Amino acid sequence: MNNHESALFKDKQIGFLIYLGVEAIMFSVLFATYLIFTPARQGPHPSEVFEAMSVILSSFFLLSSSGTLLAAEKGLKKNNKFKFLVWFGITLLFAFIFLGLEIREFHTFVSEGYDISVNVFMSSFYVLVGLHAAHVAFGIGWMIVLLIQYRRKIPASLFSEKHTIFSYYWHFVDVIWVFIIILVYLPYLV
Amino acid sequence: MSIAATQKRGFGSFLWDYLTTVDHKKIAHLYLFGGGFFFLLGGLEAMFIRIQLIKPENDFLSAGLYNEMITMHGTTMIFLAAMPLLLGLMNAVMPLQIGARDVAFPFLNSLGFWLFMFGGILLNCSWFLGGAPDAGWTSYAPLSIQSPGHGVDFYVLGLQISGAGTLIGGINFLVTVVTMRAPGMTYMRMPLFTWATFITSVLILFAFPALTVGLFLLMFDRMFGSAFFDVALGGNSIIWQHLFWIFGHPEVYILILPAFGLFSDIFSTFSRKRLFGYTAMVFATMLIAFLGFMVWAHHMFTVGLGPVANSIFAIATMAIAVPTGIKIFNWLATMWGGSIEINSAMLWSLGFIPTFTIGGMTGVMLGSSVADYQYHDTYFVVAHFHYVIVGGTVFGILAGLHYWWPKMFGRILNEMMGKISFWIFFIGFHLTFFVQHFLGLMGMPRRYWVFLEDQGLDMGNLVSTIGAFFMAVGVIVFLINIIYTAVKGEKPGDDPWGGRTLEWATASPPVYYNFKQLPLVRGLDPLWIEKTEGKGKMTPAEPVGDIHMPNSSILPFMMGLGFFIAGIGFIFQVDHSAWLIAVYAGMATAIGSMLIRSLKDDHGYHIHKEELEREAD
Repeated sequence: MNNHESALFKDKQIGFLIYLGVEAIMFSVLFATYLIFTPARQGPHPSEVFEAMSVILSSFFLLSSSGTLLAAEKGLKKNNKFKFLVWFGITLLFAFIFLGLEIREFHTFVSEGYDISVNVFMSSFYVLVGLHAAHVAFGIGWMIVLLIQYRRKIPASLFSEKHTIFSYYWHFVDVIWVFIIILVYLPYLV
Repeated sequence: MSIAATQKRGFGSFLWDYLTTVDHKKIAHLYLFGGGFFFLLGGLEAMFIRIQLIKPENDFLSAGLYNEMITMHGTTMIFLAAMPLLLGLMNAVMPLQIGARDVAFPFLNSLGFWLFMFGGILLNCSWFLGGAPDAGWTSYAPLSIQSPGHGVDFYVLGLQISGAGTLIGGINFLVTVVTMRAPGMTYMRMPLFTWATFITSVLILFAFPALTVGLFLLMFDRMFGSAFFDVALGGNSIIWQHLFWIFGHPEVYILILPAFGLFSDIFSTFSRKRLFGYTAMVFATMLIAFLGFMVWAHHMFTVGLGPVANSIFAIATMAIAVPTGIKIFNWLATMWGGSIEINSAMLWSLGFIPTFTIGGMTGVMLGSSVADYQYHDTYFVVAHFHYVIVGGTVFGILAGLHYWWPKMFGRILNEMMGKISFWIFFIGFHLTFFVQHFLGLMGMPRRYWVFLEDQGLDMGNLVSTIGAFFMAVGVIVFLINIIYTAVKGEKPGDDPWGGRTLEWATASPPVYYNFKQLPLVRGLDPLWIEKTEGKGKMTPAEPVGDIHMPNSSILPFMMGLGFFIAGIGFIFQVDHSAWLIAVYAGMATAIGSMLIRSLKDDHGYHIHKEELEREAD
């Protein structure tokens, strides 16, 4: 990595972290909206709607995907191709499972009659959790692109830059999920 | 690619050059062109408003069309004219002022522009596709939810797309200032305009997410049956007001701080003096930005938040007058005892001080929550914010254009016409808006499309409309000046004003790599230091070497176009699902472009040392 490239990478790191800051503000506004509107004065109460099992399962997969991504990063650093691909593949798989569980959860809610127009609680729930799910979906696309990049045999330093930036994103998405567990689900499940 | 080769070419390659450029100086031209176009459009809408109000019970515009006019006038002027014009000036000057060869992310810079441009075009397409938004530029719920047709949908998606562009611009400028300052350019040696760019970018990053979320919720309410702002279904329309003003109040500081920055540079240059109280100016800017986030509810005094909330926000609001006052006095002290040169740029700056001070004073009056019950939603408010936005931002943009025109285009604007346009516009401005204070105090509400005869409002409104025509003439003289300058303007050389800051150490217009060797900065006003020490030019901080440059790309334009097409489809898919094709096609274009950007390695190119040495001859 020459001088110019390392300067550029530093720019990218700072720029992306600032971008995540913007995202954090956006999510905190949505959290505030959720807290103001939940529980709603009319329509379904969160405790009637949420199912503990679905939350626990999806949390398990998403949160452990942060760990598997770290393992993949270790494999990348040690130049261990097999280790990287296995752990990265598991991360991707977990992300798919999480997204599937989310879609299943939303589908169950809607088929039980709790759709977005039932009351303000459901509206803010769908917008907040849905935006997070959209971030996971975008992350899946990003991981697939990274795999293509890996196959193209670009310089190892360049690939590890791309991987680092992605890992910031993925850990951020996980942190948001932790807040969703704490602020959205937990108060109405325990 | 030498400079001579780029000058001989047809219109096609000229257009292609601008569509694909990632050069901050050319993107600045694009911003000025786009922002200028929307400024004229917003001005035209303003003229329609004033013609409608020239006499009592006029029927020049229908009530519905009038609502569309005021909405589009406000939205266009704030989001599509003032901000892009400022972003244009920042793009043109800020990298030069810190001694950088470009911004940190040239590709994103171009993407930011095209998102703004296509967002603006999308918003204005509403005129031809079933009616413009008509719920006011603040788009208060429940009015914006009830508004029939697709007008407000255009508002939501147009602003969402152009807002994304602004956010990208903010991130870009912030990283540029943090990482790309030339050797020796410490933070406390940066010119005030660069400081303002830096702090404005921070404001953008904190303020725009609130707007994004607000528009997002409004979109769900209008299109997907949620009920965030619908009181009947348990929603709360006040939430929209909070979200809007948490964004909206910092937004007015996003508009004014860059103007403060460039006035500081101009006063200092044309007084031949170092800026008085540089450190105080920097910290006043920060303080204004910080307090700007604490005062949003002063737009909501009459909502009924209660006496405690109102008092807190009233006190915070009045506190902003303190750092602003520090700035005004520092500008006066900069001029005090200086050898002052008065030209068009300086005239706009001098005109700014009394105008903005009046606007600030009425701001403190409005900040008194008790008195605000009388002023709220009257023409007093309209007069106040035009005094600060026109008197601050528009005067600032015009001052900056006159000041940096030779740097941006290599030709100097005609002084005579510059002075004429200033005086006509300045007189017209005060005719239009000074009288509106009194119209407001007499109780004329804003946003009404007619007023009744013999209520003491006839004369004031007539004067106001006459003033508006003066302003239009001033703008037309300025346009003629631009055309005249492009054809016959003088070429004044690299440093026509006796500049103090780094941009005047480059050629006019600067070569595409800005600095052959990065300059060594030895203090505040680096070029002035070299001049006073008899050297007259910057000491290089590095030997001549290869320069890395980014490649041009059409992808930012394609991404903007994709989001534009998807936006149109998204608005109309509620009527007919066939429009979903447009959504998919647009998103495919945008995401496809992103994929190409990701998978096609683009390492840019190098200008070699030998080439640089040849060009010097």
